[in-house]
Formats: sequence, C-alpha cells, structure tokens
Amino acid sequence: MTQASGPRVALFVTCLVDAMRPRIGFAAIRVLEEAGCVVEVPEAQTCCGQPAFNSGDDADTKALARQVISVFDGYDHVVVPSGSCAGTIAHGYPELLADDPVWGPRAKALAGKTREILSFLVDVMGYRPEGRSLPASATYHDSCSGLREMGVKAQPRALLAGIDGLEMRPLEGAEVCCGFGGTFCVKYPAISNGIVGEKAAAIEATGADLLLAGDLGCLMNMAGKLHREGSKVRCFHTVEVVAGMADGPAIGEAE
Amino acid sequence: MSARERIFSAVRAELSAARDPAQIAGEAAALLAEPDAVRPRLAGATLAESFAIKATALGTTIDRVPALDAVPEAVARYLAGQGLRPSVALDGAPELRGLDWGAVETHSAIAPDEAAGVGLARFGVAESGSIVIHSGPETPILLAFLPLHHVVVLRVADMLAHLEDYAARLEGTEPPRNAILITGPSGTTDIEGSYVRGAHGPGFVHVILVEE
Amino acid sequence: MSDAPHAEAEAPDFKTRAGIALADRTLKIAIDRTTNTAETKRAAAVGAFPEFEAARERGRAIKDHVIANLGHYLETFERNATASGAKVHWAADDAEARAIVVRLCREAGARSVTRSKSMLGEEIGLPDALAEAGIERVETDLAEHIIQLAGEHPSHIIWPAMHRTREQVADLFREGHVPPPSAEDPGSMVRSARRVLREKFLGADVGISGANFLIADTGATCTVTNEGNAELTTTPPRVHIVTAGIEKLVPSTAHAFALLRLLVRSATGGEMTQYTTFHRGPKRPGDADGPEEMHIVLVDNGRSRMLGDEFRDMLRCIRCGACMNHCVVYRQIGGHAYGGTYPGPMGAVLTPVLDGLAKSRDLPFACTMNGRCAEVCPVRIPLPTLLRAWRGRSWRENLEPRAMRAGLGLWAWVARRPRLYRLASGLGVRALRLMGKGGWVGSVPLAGGWTAYRDLPRPSGKTFMEQYRGGRK
Ligand code: SF4
Repeated sequence: MTQASGPRVALFVTCLVDAMRPRIGFAAIRVLEEAGCVVEVPEAQTCCGQPAFNSGDDADTKALARQVISVFDGYDHVVVPSGSCAGTIAHGYPELLADDPVWGPRAKALAGKTREILSFLVDVMGYRPEGRSLPASATYHDSCSGLREMGVKAQPRALLAGIDGLEMRPLEGAEVCCGFGGTFCVKYPAISNGIVGEKAAAIEATGADLLLAGDLGCLMNMAGKLHREGSKVRCFHTVEVVAGMADGPAIGEAE
Repeated sequence: MSARERIFSAVRAELSAARDPAQIAGEAAALLAEPDAVRPRLAGATLAESFAIKATALGTTIDRVPALDAVPEAVARYLAGQGLRPSVALDGAPELRGLDWGAVETHSAIAPDEAAGVGLARFGVAESGSIVIHSGPETPILLAFLPLHHVVVLRVADMLAHLEDYAARLEGTEPPRNAILITGPSGTTDIEGSYVRGAHGPGFVHVILVEE
Repeated sequence: MSDAPHAEAEAPDFKTRAGIALADRTLKIAIDRTTNTAETKRAAAVGAFPEFEAARERGRAIKDHVIANLGHYLETFERNATASGAKVHWAADDAEARAIVVRLCREAGARSVTRSKSMLGEEIGLPDALAEAGIERVETDLAEHIIQLAGEHPSHIIWPAMHRTREQVADLFREGHVPPPSAEDPGSMVRSARRVLREKFLGADVGISGANFLIADTGATCTVTNEGNAELTTTPPRVHIVTAGIEKLVPSTAHAFALLRLLVRSATGGEMTQYTTFHRGPKRPGDADGPEEMHIVLVDNGRSRMLGDEFRDMLRCIRCGACMNHCVVYRQIGGHAYGGTYPGPMGAVLTPVLDGLAKSRDLPFACTMNGRCAEVCPVRIPLPTLLRAWRGRSWRENLEPRAMRAGLGLWAWVARRPRLYRLASGLGVRALRLMGKGGWVGSVPLAGGWTAYRDLPRPSGKTFMEQYRGGRK
C-alpha cells in the first residue's frame, strides 16, 4: 500500500540484482512501500559504473556517473540494495567529478540523498518489520562498502531483531572482507579463493541455517564457495528476510 | 647540481612559495594545543602511583626508599633476592658515588656480561612508566644495555606526568648527545609476534624510587 | 627444505609469486600466528585509549603540516644537526644513498658493520651494497638476524621474519648458532641470539641505524626499538650512520611523542616501545661513551616527486604496519609476493613509486577495496583511493591488457544506452541460465576465475526490469 504523502524514492536496482536476483529488487520495493515511501524505478538506469571505476577507467566512469545523476537527481532519495553501488554514487562520483563546475555540485547533491536500503529504512524512515517471522538461525556478514562507506552496521541487526523466531549468531570476523572485490575475484581468483575459503569456514562454524548480507556480489561469492564446499548454509540478502520473502528460494536454489 | 640542491629544488617546485618561519612555528605550536585531548590519562591518583602501575605492567620491578642513603641497602636487597653477587657497575653520578655502599662492591668498567648495573635516572614519566637517561661524562649509555639487570634510581621529585613534559624540560637547554626513554626490560615479538622478555638489553629493570 | 629462501621472492611476476605463496601452508600458519596476535593487541591498545581518534586526527595534521613545509623543516633540521656536530649528507636516490654509506664505511676503515633494523636501508639496497663492498654486515634486530641467516629479505615492515614459524626459526638457529640454542622455545632462541651477537656489537667499526623521526628543532634523530639492539649498534662503534627518508621530519620532540603514541599502538599494540632513543651528534668531550662521528644520510628517492602528485598523502606514513596486518590479501600471500621493499597496502602504493608502475602494475589491482587498511591507518591515509589512483594511471598509460580494455569499453558503451543495455542483459541472463541446471552454473566461459573455485548462482531467467515492466510487484 502506498501513501501518496510519503517521500519520493527512486530505487537503484543495481545491475547485479537486475540480472542475477530480481527478488531482491521486489523485496526492496515491498519494504520501502511498507515504510511509507512512494517508490519509482527509473527506466533509464543501468549500472553505477563501478567495474570501470575500480579498473581505473575514469572516462567511462564519468560518463556513467553523469547518466546516473541525470536519471536520479529529481527524487527525494535514491535507495540502493547494495552498500558498494551506493558507495560508488555517494563517494566515487563526487571524488571523480570534483573539478567539474557543472557535474561536481550535482554529484555532491546526489551523494547527499543516496542511501543503502537497510540504513535508509532505519535511519530515515524509522521502519520496523511487523508480523514477520522466520523460524531459523542466521549469521550476518558486514559487506565492506556498506560498513565503511555507508555506515551500515547496527541497522540491519536492528531490523533482523524484529523478525520473530529468527536467532542471530555472531560471525567471527564479520567485518573482514569476503574476497569478492568486484573485478578482483576474476583477476586474482586464487587469492580471492583463499579469502572466501576462510570466510566460508567461519560461516560454517556458526552452525547457522542462513547467511545474510547486504550486497549481492559478496553473497554470490560466499554462496558459491559454500555450495562448492558442500555446505548446507542458505544465503539471502537481508532485505529479503525483512520483506518476509525468505520462504522462497535461497541464492542458488531453483525457483 | 649537488644532491642537496636537487632535493631542495624539487621540494620547492612542488610546494608553494617560501613562508614566514614565524607563521610555520605558530602552526606547529597549535598542533600541540589541548594535549589532554590526544593523550592517555594517567593510570593512578599520583604521579608515582601512575608510574608504578605502568612500569610494573611491563615487568619492571619497583622498590621504594625514603632517601638516597637507603639506596645501597635496597640494591643489596635486590641482588640478594635475585641470587646475584653483591657487585655492580655503578654510573658516575656524584649522588650515587657519594653513598656508603657498604657490602656492595662497585666498579665503573662495564663488562660485556655484566650482571648488574646501577644508574641514576634524569626523569620518570608517569604516563608510560618510562625512565629517562642522558648520556654524559658520568653516564655511560652501555650501563643501561650490557648488564642483565639494570637497577635505576629515580627520585620522586624528578617524576613528570606526560611525555610532553619531558620535551618541555629539554627546551632552552642543550639536549644531550643521547637521550633514552626506557620503558620496561628489553624484549622482542619477532618470533610469531609473541612476546619474549630479555632480548639484547637487560632482561630485568628494577627501579628504586626515592621519596625524599 | 624449510630454511631455503622463500621461493615466492624469486619468481618474476606477481601472480606466480602469489600462487607459490598460496600453496605454502607453513607460510599461512606463520602469517596467521603473527597477524592474529597483532590484530588482537592493537584492538586492545586502541580500546584502552579513548582519545585515539582525536590523536589520529592530530597525527594526520602534524604530518600534513610538515609535508606542506618540508623545505623549511629540512633546512632547520640540517642546521641543528650540523650544529650538534653531526654531518648531514643528501641522497637524491637509492644509488646515491648506497654510495654515500659505502664511502663512509670505507673512510672509517670498516671491516665489520652492525645494523639495527631500518626499512629505508632495505629500500636503498644497503645489505647488498655492503656485501659488494666486502664489508661484514651484522644484522642485530632479532628478525633481521633470522632473515640474514636465511639469506632473505623482510616480508613485513615491523616483523621482517613473520613468514617463518618458530619451528623454522629453530632450524635456522640450529644450523647458524654455535653452540645451538638449548631448546626450541622462542625464549631459548632469543637468548641464543643475544649470546651470538654480543661480541659483534662490541667489535664493530661502524653502526648503521634508521630513524623513526627527525626532530627539526634539535637536530636529533629518534629511533624506537624493543630489543635494545639499536643502542648497542650505535654506541660502541667509532662511527654512527643514520639513514632516513626526508618525510621523517617533525617540528619538535613533543610532536614526535604525539606520533609515537599512534605508532606503537598501531604497530605492536603496546603503549610505548621499550627504547625511545634520541641521538644528537657525536660523542662530546668527556662523554663516557658514544661514537666519534655521526653521519645522517637524508634520502629522497621519489619522495619529493610525491609532494606534487596524487600520492602526497602517502608521505604521512609512519611505517606502523597496521594496514598489512589487517589486509585480507596480505594475510593470504605474505610480504614476499609483493616483490618490493614494502608489502601490503602501503607497499602497493609505494612500490610503483619506487620501482615504476610497469613493473608493479598488479599491486594496486590485487586489492578488494574493502577499506580496512584505511580504517586502521593511524594517520588516516586513504589507501584505497591511492590504489585507485594507480589504477587510473595504469589505464591511462595503456598498461592494462588489451582484451580487458576492449571488454570494459564495450560494456561501458552499452551501459550508456539503457535500451540496448536492457536487451543485452536480458539475452545475457538467458544465455547464462542455459549454461547451468538447477540453481547453479558450474563453469562459464570467460569467468573461469570464478568457477574454478566456486559455483555461480544460476539466474532465474528474466531480469528485474523485464519482470517489473511486466507488472510484477
Ligand atoms: S599506511 Fe598507515 S597503516 Fe600502513 S604502515 Fe603507513 S601509517 Fe601504518
């Protein structure tokens, strides 16, 4: 149910959610609307440009940044179900366009209203899930960009604490990178594998049924490693749990 | 062009024009403002107590005596407690040399395998449990490094609160050739990061605090 | 053989070195033992110092102030050090620095030189230069002693021998110490090193040390150590040589203390090093001991260039090693795989400065950009931003593989055309779906790096945008 009086929120779906796990996008829309937002999904969005940004291809990143700014800067808030894409918009764009007299200020303005979804729900909308239950145990991994660039730490835990029957188990080294790193994991696969191998072992050691995190890239990395190792741990984006959609297929389970 | 000229011209090329030294000094001083906001608080109620808390945590042992003339006896007591012969290398400070060493034999040469050396500290620093020694005609640096046991006499009156207070004491004086803040016995974490006490310097530091 | 020099140090390229390191399980044990301890101790030390964040900010400001006025401080330091009786030498690069030190040793008629650990000495290649000059070099820091016995280079800037387990160190000592240590516990090994090195200290002609700080207003050099080897290196010999980078300056002793509080907590998790030593000139008339000559070699080696480029923030580095202790990549591959003097995040920024980007192009890319290094850096160096700056240069200088450039360029071209992008991603998702069955894809062309080690979730068949436009909510 939408309330016409709520803030106009643009959902930046992210290219990975768009292609690999649309459920996360629909979960995001569901909770944003519950929280009282008027949600729009601008048609002209593609990717935030992070692959180019992290490859040193500044020219292409700037072009994509200008496109994202044009598409999104008319909304009250831009909400992203990924700390790292949100971080690119909130920190990468202003850094990259700092010397541009036109786009620099626009990048800054967009940065100021761009949020990672779980922190937006709690910090801006004061949202708490109601009547949601999930009889399972779960552990939570803090994805790096969300944690360090977007200040996501307490908010997902607060939201998960509002899910009836969900038992949270602490993850040793929850703040340590999972080894995804975007292009890193395909450029230096052996190093990435060493890192995610340790992460998978730490996740297994919690004995939890579920692994939750806020970034699909990291989740695919951890889920892919856990599956390869024969683990039974099921992986979801946190927003799927908050939206009550964790009764569906986990990452890597056929729909 | 000499290396010096090349370095200076490179540095100057990258930085803005020469600035007024007084202005630079003012900025540097401002960076030391409000020292309490950027340093640890003292561990105890008094300077001596704070010093003792920090020093003993590092393995330094502490004895307290009322006055300097009680130092030889305290040294004898420490040596006996450690099972050492009553013989020490003694630094040249007149305050120590002038004492009646009684049964403790003293000498000034420091053998490479000296068992114990006794010296006078210039200062103590309560913040960190450090003692400060300065090189000089009476103070061989090696006295604090060759012996296995370093016995340090420190007057409570020479106790400073913080590291900055020591820096302030140097101002307006000719700093020594070598000043050393010693904070606990020598040690190392070079094998697997785990701490081993007693590396190249003394394995034992014993401070005799003189209250007078 | 456990005491052969680590093979990864010798391989020509980063990926090979990293691969060798990853295959070495003993190396991983050694890395984990040290970095786990370091991480725990640092966290405790920072936790016990509520003023840490304010102190960090102050430390950053002190270093920035010095960097912004470097010419002034270099001149002030030179004047005061000279007034103290020390002789100041200038070296624009590593070759000049080596030549100066070797010349000073020769002038001193040195047959034996003791060294206390200095990463700058490693940076300028001093160990090899002394060997070529036929001068006996005795490393006195315990870790450097281990490295010397093994014929290796440091793998960490605080714990140079951290790539060796205690069992491997025991093997080295059994062969290298006469008589061998009485037992294999670290304590016995440390005592053995103390005994072996004691006579070397007293017989050396020249002692060489580094400096953690150069104090401009007194002309003193400041060195911090825990073992006591620095004092034994610098006091008995007739000549004391200090080598230091020009970025080590601080305005005064009090400024050095402010940085020291950050350095020790960040490096070892202690509050204060056991020995904080200030050297100011040679032995004075009547002094009980001390060297007759003190020389200070100030080394630029790329630093003045950094003043003017995007790597200027890196000049703040106080060489604490926290960034590597907290780096997931370093903790997988150790220090030797980086192939430069400095490993880990700070090394990935500095090595391209020192060795050139063409030779070290991999380093800025071998990073997940997780930001933990910057989070712990006591002087707030934005390491990921600096690594990204190197990536930008690498891209602009055409050092990236052609296929990579072409692929990324095509992707970006499509991503700027939303309708084409929709079409392409819809097709891509369907193609990917065809490659797997059930929920997973086991192998994907061009993504072999991924699927060699993990499975790829199989996409559900339609993109979010297709479903959304189709009315799903
Ligand atoms: S970059 Fe920062 S964390 Fe790394 S060694 Fe330098 S000062 Fe320490």
